[in-house]
Amino acid sequence: MKMIKKCLVSLSFIAAVLAVVVVGTASAEKLRVGMECTYAPFNFKNANGELMGYDVDVAKGVAGLIGADMEFVCQKWDGMIPALLANKFDLVIASMSITEKRLKKMDFSDTYRISVGRLVGKKNAGWKLFDGTGRPIVANFAGLKVGLERATTYSDWFENELPGATVVLYDSNEALYLDLVNGRTDMIMTNPMKAHLRFLSKEDGAGFEFVSPQIDEKKYFGIGVGIGLRKGNDELKGRLNAAVETLTLMGWLEKYALQYFPFAIH
Amino acid sequence: MIFDFALIVDSIPKMLAGFWMTFELWFLSAVLGMALAIILLLMRISGRWYLYAPAMAYIYIFRGTPILVQIFIIYHGFPQLEFIRESIFWPILREPFGCAILALTLNTGAYVSEILRGGVLGVDRGLKEAGAALGLSSTHRFIYITSPIAIRLALPAYSNDIISLMKSTALASTITLLDMMGIARTIVAETYAPYEIFLSLTVIYLILTWIIQKSIGLIEKRMSRHVRSEA
Amino acid sequence: MEALNGWWDDFFWGSVVVADVFVVSLILTVLFGLTGAAAKLSKNRVAQSIANGYTIIFRGTPEILVLLLFYFGSAIALTAIAQISNPEIKYVDIPPFWAGSIAIALIVGSYATETFRGAFLGVEPGQIEAARALGLSNFKTFIYVRIPAMWRLALPPFGNHMLSLIKDTALISIIGLEETLFVAEQAIATTGKPFTMFIVVGAIYLGFSTIITLSVVVLEKYANQHLKIAR
Repeated sequence: MKMIKKCLVSLSFIAAVLAVVVVGTASAEKLRVGMECTYAPFNFKNANGELMGYDVDVAKGVAGLIGADMEFVCQKWDGMIPALLANKFDLVIASMSITEKRLKKMDFSDTYRISVGRLVGKKNAGWKLFDGTGRPIVANFAGLKVGLERATTYSDWFENELPGATVVLYDSNEALYLDLVNGRTDMIMTNPMKAHLRFLSKEDGAGFEFVSPQIDEKKYFGIGVGIGLRKGNDELKGRLNAAVETLTLMGWLEKYALQYFPFAIH
Repeated sequence: MIFDFALIVDSIPKMLAGFWMTFELWFLSAVLGMALAIILLLMRISGRWYLYAPAMAYIYIFRGTPILVQIFIIYHGFPQLEFIRESIFWPILREPFGCAILALTLNTGAYVSEILRGGVLGVDRGLKEAGAALGLSSTHRFIYITSPIAIRLALPAYSNDIISLMKSTALASTITLLDMMGIARTIVAETYAPYEIFLSLTVIYLILTWIIQKSIGLIEKRMSRHVRSEA
Repeated sequence: MEALNGWWDDFFWGSVVVADVFVVSLILTVLFGLTGAAAKLSKNRVAQSIANGYTIIFRGTPEILVLLLFYFGSAIALTAIAQISNPEIKYVDIPPFWAGSIAIALIVGSYATETFRGAFLGVEPGQIEAARALGLSNFKTFIYVRIPAMWRLALPPFGNHMLSLIKDTALISIIGLEETLFVAEQAIATTGKPFTMFIVVGAIYLGFSTIITLSVVVLEKYANQHLKIAR
């Protein structure tokens, strides 16, 4: 059985690569890719104006494999899906989680990163927000202000699980951290990898820590982060899936991740 | 392109829930801005350099920069400065509402002071001379002769500015405030239906600005009934 | 201040974008304003109603709302129109530069319509009669007599419209135009210094406003030179 399994895996691997290469070299099409551009370290601009980040590397990797030219378009997060639907760009490679709610309006490729959420707040605040099994204690959130970015899976989770909490909605990711530091909010919910890298490990995050366990509810956070595209593009979706599979199997996803994180994130 | 009317009907009450916030932002800024404008006006026409120079500098800066930038400097920028966080104003500046009111007031104050100045300059010199001939002091002249006429002259331009102020309150949605625009953006983010939501919001704002315009028009008619010809 | 290192060139290119948008929207504003004014002053009822509708809608809606509507609506509307002629077309889209420039030109153009209308009404009827007596056609009268005379009256309020244009450019950053405010937001994402960055943006816009105000002063001198009293 082991031999057959091994054969099957390597065969499908070769097939995936072939599919991508064969179809990809057929034409150099142009695809516009939407991303936030202010979501370090996944997609952001450095001081030289160059777009960098995990999502950018994944995008370039996929582009190379499917033989397309990618043009990056910066878009504020809360307008990301409406902009995709309004044809402002063809793909969304912006750390967008695959959720049922989103699947109603758009399509996703296979995942290229896991997605979870975690709360960040002041050190030693003495809150008991979660019980032993990781479920939130609704009553203890009363009176606490939580910063969330509009249209994220995190704001969805809060809206449904903790409707009594005081939520403050932001247009951009950066503003979340700025306001947490200057005390406008008591805690924020965001991606733990980014929180660790951009905030907790730097000096402005010195007085803060994670105040919740990692929250992984598939219903809200989906099965992971994927490449978003409009419905009805099954052919493109197939090529994207093949490309993502190739990147995963060939270890490129891990290579991209290690540039920014001390661990792989897919 | 099919319009989702059910969504519009469902969203309008939600957006109107933000009306109170929009109104508060508008009304408070208008009142505080008028107070600031009067102070600036008096400084500006005082003739003393140490009063009119700062006033002119203030007006120049606040009319020469975009209001969005002013809002961001106050909301995002001020907390970066240590002395702001430790001052007595911090409780106000910590709240987005306080920051929005501050930014809108400072901005509209600059514009309205110039509008008032235009009104003051438009008062016929003969009337002021008559006042002087009658022995009225310059303060009395200003309060009883210049001001009523200046107000009437300034009303059209003022109505424009106050409508601009109403439109500027929509920018408060960029600093987390849930006024009508903020609620609309949240709904769009969840339903991915920008046209229906934004178009209905446009209609709401049009109705509001129409009401403001008509009201000031009525005030203007009443104030100028002694100058309108009988024809 | 060291935080700014490396960002100066980005701010420079952002300023270039602001200047580009200004020029494009200025030309469009004059176009929309003159057309609107002509429509309002014409005897044609349809043209008048359309022009009235135009000014009411664009003067009464918040700029940020117009921009967002244009941004989302442009692609769908244009694609639908383009597909009528050529069904092969998958999408027609306007980049934020054009969507934004056209949007703010429409907004300021609605104010310019009123300004130009007032200025046209201020042209001395004697000049028009003289043009008629000389046999000039309606069109020639418009170009060679009305516009030069009207321009002098329109210049001071039009200067304000130009200032509005340059400041509304900051709003286009919300739909992704990479001008100075957008650059500032990215700089903040990597440096964490909002006050510094926003002050730079404010200073850049203040610089632009100053240039515009000075230009208007020069233009006014030029437009009024034939009225200077001979000594």
